Amino acid sequence: MQTSAIKKMLHSLAIIFWLLPALLLTACEQQQAPSKPAQHPPPQYKGTIIAVGDSLTAGLGVMENEAWPALLEKKLQNNGYLWQVINAGISGETSSGLVSRIQWILSRQPDVVILETGANDGLRGIPPAVIRQNISNAVQILENGNVTVILAGMQIVQNLGADYTDEFADIYPAIAGKQGCLLIPFLLDQVAGEPGLNQADTIHPNRKGHKIVSETVYPYVLQAIKARPEF
Amino acid sequence: MLHLHFICRQVAGSHKQAVIFVLCVALSLLTLTSVGGFSSNVRSSMLQDARKLNGADITVHSHYPFSEPLLHAIHRYEQQGAVQGALVNRFYSMARNPQREQSMLCDLKVVEKGYPLYGKVELLSGREFSAVLRQGSIIVEQVLLGRLQARIGDALQIGSTLLTIADVVVLEPDRPVSFFSFGPRIFIAADDLEQLDLIKKGSRIQFDYLLKVQDPALVDQLADKFYAAAEMPNEHVRTYRNDNSRIKRFFDNFLFFLNLIGLFTLVLAGIGIQTSLYAVLRESDYTIAIMKSVGATSRVIILHFMAMVMLLGTVGTLLGLILSLALQLYFPTLFAKILPVNVNLTIPWMVVFQGLLLGIMVVSLFSFLPLQRIKNLKPAFIFRKETDRAPQGLLHYSTILIIVVFFLGLVIWQLKDVRTGIYFMLGLCSLISLTALITQALLKVMKKITFRSLIFRQALRGLFRPNNATRAIITTLSASLAVLFSIYLIDHNLRATFIESYPPDLPNAYFLDIQPNQQKEFTDILNMKAEYFPIIRARLASINNQRVNRAKRRVGMRDTLTREFNLTYRNSLLKDEQMLEGKTLFGSRLEELHNAGEVPVSVLDTVAEMGNINLGDLLVFKVQGLAIKARVTSMRTRTESKVRPFFYFVFQEKTLKDAPRTIFSAARIDRSQLSKVQNKLVSRLPNISVIDIASTVEILGAIMHRMSAIIEFFTVFSIAAGLLINVSSIFATRLTRIREAVYFKVLGARNSFVVKVLTYENLIVGLFSAALATVISQVGSWIICRQVFNIPYQALPASTAIMVAATLVLVIVVGLGASISILQQKPIGYLRDERTN
Repeated sequence: MQTSAIKKMLHSLAIIFWLLPALLLTACEQQQAPSKPAQHPPPQYKGTIIAVGDSLTAGLGVMENEAWPALLEKKLQNNGYLWQVINAGISGETSSGLVSRIQWILSRQPDVVILETGANDGLRGIPPAVIRQNISNAVQILENGNVTVILAGMQIVQNLGADYTDEFADIYPAIAGKQGCLLIPFLLDQVAGEPGLNQADTIHPNRKGHKIVSETVYPYVLQAIKARPEF
Repeated sequence: MLHLHFICRQVAGSHKQAVIFVLCVALSLLTLTSVGGFSSNVRSSMLQDARKLNGADITVHSHYPFSEPLLHAIHRYEQQGAVQGALVNRFYSMARNPQREQSMLCDLKVVEKGYPLYGKVELLSGREFSAVLRQGSIIVEQVLLGRLQARIGDALQIGSTLLTIADVVVLEPDRPVSFFSFGPRIFIAADDLEQLDLIKKGSRIQFDYLLKVQDPALVDQLADKFYAAAEMPNEHVRTYRNDNSRIKRFFDNFLFFLNLIGLFTLVLAGIGIQTSLYAVLRESDYTIAIMKSVGATSRVIILHFMAMVMLLGTVGTLLGLILSLALQLYFPTLFAKILPVNVNLTIPWMVVFQGLLLGIMVVSLFSFLPLQRIKNLKPAFIFRKETDRAPQGLLHYSTILIIVVFFLGLVIWQLKDVRTGIYFMLGLCSLISLTALITQALLKVMKKITFRSLIFRQALRGLFRPNNATRAIITTLSASLAVLFSIYLIDHNLRATFIESYPPDLPNAYFLDIQPNQQKEFTDILNMKAEYFPIIRARLASINNQRVNRAKRRVGMRDTLTREFNLTYRNSLLKDEQMLEGKTLFGSRLEELHNAGEVPVSVLDTVAEMGNINLGDLLVFKVQGLAIKARVTSMRTRTESKVRPFFYFVFQEKTLKDAPRTIFSAARIDRSQLSKVQNKLVSRLPNISVIDIASTVEILGAIMHRMSAIIEFFTVFSIAAGLLINVSSIFATRLTRIREAVYFKVLGARNSFVVKVLTYENLIVGLFSAALATVISQVGSWIICRQVFNIPYQALPASTAIMVAATLVLVIVVGLGASISILQQKPIGYLRDERTN
């Protein structure tokens, strides 16, 4: 008889696998609020910001209008900046995936791109050098396309060991320094590790957490907007 | 005052029937006790497996260190000796080989003394786990040694400390069933936890407190106590019984099936006993008539026959018990090769008692019915061979009621569940009543039809002769055949769902996050056949213009419509897929769709059920902000037991090929090959993650394999026994069918004519019974598979046809075989005798 896989295990495995890209070990609900239809871009927008990233950007476990990109857009518009923020976060994506779709992002003609990636690489123990190379490529391509890049600094879970976590954390300031893009020192500043601001999996922010993230991002976005030539 | 002499003579007089009756009782008892004993043995073996897989009776789980109240509650019971506990911390971390400057992500398990609570961790060296895992030492998986180029004895840097590799783990008993890991296992002693310095704020740790409960009956009680002390929402308490995993469903289903077989056997035994008993008593009609004529009171007659039946019943019961004891002794030698080592046949006293109870009580209860008809028996009826028209009085029906209640009691005892027991009895009673009614109806119909063939007419008339037991024969035969057919059908479907649908080419390794521009290089590295699936992430925004939101999630569904999905594209069905609705994946109205700005999409039935999606519905997907309007053009379903990668939504290639995508690959690969591939991937395509499911597969594979063997054995055993019971029943009732044979011969018929008539008689009986049994078993099995087990149902028409054919052959052969003596005898002998011997 064949010594093959087991229904139960593989069924759960398959289900978990397909939820995996929605960031490992968690199955959470998602609420999709209808985003502004791409077919009819409202003509009154002054510019487009695309938030490119993984589940932290996509808003795994919260509704899309509760994730930080949507909150950011609301805050901008409330303060008189008629800019749209598109959520292009893909749960489970690594920095390699991000590089693969950077052309796609460019084709959407953004003015500003907030780049948030690396966490999933970290959770899989991918060498920091690889992550750095990927992010560097992505930033380069975007800057060549005349996009203002805001790089979101990231830190990885401490249980991976100081050697890895330190090398990981160094990636972002290093790239910002070399390629001259804006840097948010740590996207989850004041949110990471706080039980009250994260979901049960301890790594994804809840609604309150996302609110704080949007406020962390806001000043850098303002900086980027003001630096745009057409502003 | 009992006349023993009379009883002995009576027995001697109808000794053939008596022997058959005794054998029937013995066989029924043998089957009952063996199945019962075996079943209880298997049950405890399976529960043991479940505990081993779970690693504990109670598991307390959290992502944060345990709260004081919870720890306090646990410690209290630990001190009392009611529970034994072991703390386990699981988390990922980088392990580095300082000599080679190689590092990799590993799945760490830091365990306290006492782990594992159930089962054994097997090491390569064969040594004791607890002896090897001490402070400063670690035990790793083989694949780690390959990847980090390390050997046993080398030191690895983990966290802030260096630990020495002491051994290699070969088998981990409680590897979670939903297991996949991004790194190999490393076992670390709890004493090293502080040195590691990895558990701190910002760490992601799984804290587990594994508990073994001394008294298994207290598991739920204690679990409740800990649940009360646990801090919500972070701390979870679960037992090995309610871990809510699929493996539990698998175990539950099989255990229930074992129960079912036990019950079926009970029914078969009852039917067998009843049939042969009835035949024995019928034989004595003439004697009773004579006794009444010479003045014996009904009371005396009943008493004596009762005694005779009891005597025979007791003999049969004892014989059955002796046989089962013999079977118990010889069981290991007979079946050692087929069955796993730790399953044996020890028949618990309870089962013996149940057997005894059944044997004696059923015999007496069942004999009550025909015996009490003696009261109203007028000798004239017998002498004139008139049709028995004694009215069925209150006593008759109340006896039947008592029998039913008695069986209900046995059934409930077996199942230990009153409600299911009642359902089963209701089902059974309806089965038998239905069979009787349908038989009656069919026979009425048959009576009215005239046939051209003389042989056929005679055969038919033969079945309706006075005092015929045709209805009874067909009813009992159908009922018992229905039971046997059902066992076969249910067994086949259970195994098809859980065991057999693991084809040899099933992938055992998944590769994630392959970028499109890496595919060629990946294929080169893998250097073997693999499946590739493009993955495009998207969310479902609306169904038929109704937004998908949280409210759409159905209670109890494990999956939800509000998450991100993996879309894919291809032009054909996967190996384990089948079209459910629609002729082709994307339909034929592509032009129309294109003009409407829509694209075709094929949907899997499981997600369709979740969202109430039907053919022709409009689904709007959001692929990173871009909307895609898709029309459902077909529905697919998976045919195997869902062990391959599956895709809810399938598009045409042209719809999605330009969208940002990654590639997912699945391959069936040798363990040794896998480490080589992983090494190459790490250096050349480090972003690709490998999920190795082979070893978990092996662990559960062994269990499944065992289950399969056990269930097979059970099924074959019960069916064989059931067949034997049937044979003896058929044999027992042969007498009612041969009387005409003699008259035919007197009238000048050749042996061949008689044989043909007999054959047709048996054929008709067999055909009716088989047809009825088929219908009933198909319906019953469908109900049990779909409603109780919740598994797909295959009707197996080919096997059913074979079963029907086999039944016909059986009935004819046995029926004829039993009548051979008549054919050989000269008619005059029979006429003189008026009773065959």
